[in-house]
Amino acid sequence: MTAKQSIAAFGASASQVFAFYFILGRKSAKTRVFALLGLVPVVLAVVVRIVMRGRAEDVMAVFTEILMVLFLQFYIVILSLFFGTSIVAEEIEGRTLPYLITRPLTKPGIIVGKFGAYALLMALMVTVNLALSYFIMNGYRLGEASLYLTFLRYAGVLGLGVLAYTAFFVFLGAVLKRAILVGLVFGFGWENVIQYFPGSTQKFSLVHYLKSLLPYRPAPGGKSTLSLLLFRLEPTTPAVSILTLAAVTAVLLALACWIFRAKEYLFEE
Amino acid sequence: MAATVRAKGYAHWDGRPVDRRFPWWPITRMGIQLAFRKKRFKLAFAMSFAPAFVFLAGLYISERLEDFQAFFRGSDRLLNITPDYFKIYLTNDSLHFLIVLVLAFAGAGLVADDLKHNSLQLYFARPLRKKDYLLGKMSVVAFFVLIVTALPGLVLLLFKLVFAGSFKFFLDYPWLPLSILGYAALLTVFFAFYILLLSSLSKNSRYVTILVFMTFFFSSILHGILYGIFRLPALALVSIPANLQQTGASLFGQKLPHAFPAVWSFLVLAAACAVSGLVINRKIRSVEVVK
Amino acid sequence: MSAVIRAENLSKWYGNVLGLSEVTLEIENGVTGLLGPNGAGKSTFMKLVTGQMKPNIGSVTVGGRRAWNDPALFAKIGFCPEPDAFYEDVTGWEFLTGLLRLQGFCRAEAAERAARALDIVDLAKDKDRLIRGYSRGMRQRVKFAQAIAHDPEIIVLDEPLSGLDPLSKRKLIKLIKDFRSEGRTVLVSSHVLPEIEALTSRIVLIHQGKILAQGDIPYVRELIEAHPHVISIRSSDPRRLAAGFIGDAAVRKLTFDPDGKTLVIETHKRDAFFGRLTGAVLEAGVLVDEITSPDDNLQAVFDYLVGK
Repeated sequence: MTAKQSIAAFGASASQVFAFYFILGRKSAKTRVFALLGLVPVVLAVVVRIVMRGRAEDVMAVFTEILMVLFLQFYIVILSLFFGTSIVAEEIEGRTLPYLITRPLTKPGIIVGKFGAYALLMALMVTVNLALSYFIMNGYRLGEASLYLTFLRYAGVLGLGVLAYTAFFVFLGAVLKRAILVGLVFGFGWENVIQYFPGSTQKFSLVHYLKSLLPYRPAPGGKSTLSLLLFRLEPTTPAVSILTLAAVTAVLLALACWIFRAKEYLFEE
Repeated sequence: MAATVRAKGYAHWDGRPVDRRFPWWPITRMGIQLAFRKKRFKLAFAMSFAPAFVFLAGLYISERLEDFQAFFRGSDRLLNITPDYFKIYLTNDSLHFLIVLVLAFAGAGLVADDLKHNSLQLYFARPLRKKDYLLGKMSVVAFFVLIVTALPGLVLLLFKLVFAGSFKFFLDYPWLPLSILGYAALLTVFFAFYILLLSSLSKNSRYVTILVFMTFFFSSILHGILYGIFRLPALALVSIPANLQQTGASLFGQKLPHAFPAVWSFLVLAAACAVSGLVINRKIRSVEVVK
Repeated sequence: MSAVIRAENLSKWYGNVLGLSEVTLEIENGVTGLLGPNGAGKSTFMKLVTGQMKPNIGSVTVGGRRAWNDPALFAKIGFCPEPDAFYEDVTGWEFLTGLLRLQGFCRAEAAERAARALDIVDLAKDKDRLIRGYSRGMRQRVKFAQAIAHDPEIIVLDEPLSGLDPLSKRKLIKLIKDFRSEGRTVLVSSHVLPEIEALTSRIVLIHQGKILAQGDIPYVRELIEAHPHVISIRSSDPRRLAAGFIGDAAVRKLTFDPDGKTLVIETHKRDAFFGRLTGAVLEAGVLVDEITSPDDNLQAVFDYLVGK
């Protein structure tokens, strides 16, 4: 098979798998549970809007430093962890892998197709909930163009986060039989702790690059006390952050494809 | 003479069924054994004793402060061992994280795997009642919670006395062993209901593992957010770790971390257990109804 | 006729457990039954054939191509796995059309083929029900349907008849037999001997990862020199009939059942014996009520070969 044919086969496989799993993922009860979980920030946005009536200047700070904590350090991590590890693990646990790997599909195509389907589902859940909470909180200035640009930036940060975390968890799922626990330790242990380390240390976490891309920064010496998200952040430049996140996504996804192609997955009796 | 039944090859069993005092024990034993069969569980289990070793080192240093003056100048207060030291060990976030980690390994599949393999009917086809089944499963949780809380807690107390070379500390705080056991018991009861509730909500133990972590830490994040908005101490009631810390401080007779009566946290945890009990009772059925 | 599936010195192990050991085998067009007890290595062989696993030693080729990591080959293969595993949250229709789309068919073609396959397995009226609500037999049938829906040239069926009611079983057996006349290659496994017997006379006996015997059932039977055929003849005068066989070199042993009506003959040469039987009956002038060969089935062959 020539390189051109291989690429065509990979592309066809990925698109077919994408379409199949996007439908399967959408119908899953677990997707509904995670989508409902995403409504929590929306409810909180309503509460903030009511409580902070007339304190418009604080709303942006509250959004970045409170609601974005929920989105960035909890919601997308949990979503990516579940869907990312599912890409391989659900086929093994459910013993449905033979249906996939005995079809004329390339194995990298299966991984990338499922990754794309689940990433899109997650991105939709995140974007819808982000949009609702963001515009509810900023409902008093819907006429400002900058509002929409900022929203796009928030959505972009979360989208990049979904891609990078999911790629990491797909890789874990391809390597390990029980990736979920290692993933939990990474997502809620390593990522939670290392981001507050000074200097270059924090650059060993994905969340560092995501936080570096956030549009809002509290004024230095400001009176905001809700700075958990940006606490001790020594930001990397946006270009480097985007490149790093893209490279992490691409490399981990490629590794996951390579492992999935080479490894035999046996069902536990 | 007519042949006896035995002579024909049959033998009536003349014994009496043994009334097992602990019919749940085989379930517990199996649950513990299954947990230890998981390779990475052993690592997580060993890790859960790390805080105990750190606190043990602290105890040693507190008795040998003169040897460590250069390191701890002006930090005498830190190593002044009081019941607060034991409370900090049992209620600190890292121990909670490790307990949740160990239980996610050992407990997520307790009911979920039985539901997945439709094996509840196998349990209930034996002389086993629902309460025996639940007790067996809860005892697995109890085993792991007690072994990483009560056991190190009491051992730390023992080492404190050994390092000090006197019983003065014990005589000063004779109720401390009871506090350690009381808080460990509270953690046990709460986590037993918590884990069994989540494990009974799905057939997929991977999903349950996520639920175990998600619920625990989400409640804490939610508390942080709500407190950030409203600045009301009582909002700590939505957080599982905060309620555990509040009740822990109360049981050790220490200053409460949140400005509301500890009884509120006791009530919240009791209510959570009661609701969990109701849901578990509904979910555990010997016959699976296919919709 | 050239072999469609060819295994050469094929070995596969799981850690220190041997799954398949030095299997050399050629499977041609038509229906071939893979027979062996649970854990014999049937599923391992099928997984190697369908490229789900790679061999540790040796090779397996399908249509001259190695199966491991050759997705193009799978357009020609239909595989029905043994585990009762499905995407539970979809309907039978979605399951089939989805898998057909993965096979590369367009939406209309996938719908047409799914409808045809569901019709074949009598699930057309239940196609819109969720698979989680299907009975065991329905699940087995929809699993079979996904293996044949894309009209594969090679069909690999791992225990396809388990869990089916007698009627569905009979229908599936007929369907599999029809594939033979269509020139397809079917490899079907089972540990239930009458099922294989009903499907084909060409069998491969597998036990503890090794091929014990292969060929037509009578041929395999001939291989078992140490275990003679047992033939029972119920007649009006069994002793008179027995007299005619006393001098027959093909007969090894003659016994009489306690009922006094049945002559039980053991022979090494089954075909030769049956060739002489009619003449012997005529010579003895007895009335024959029944001729049975209680062990002339796969169970007997299998028991002999595994040394039971």
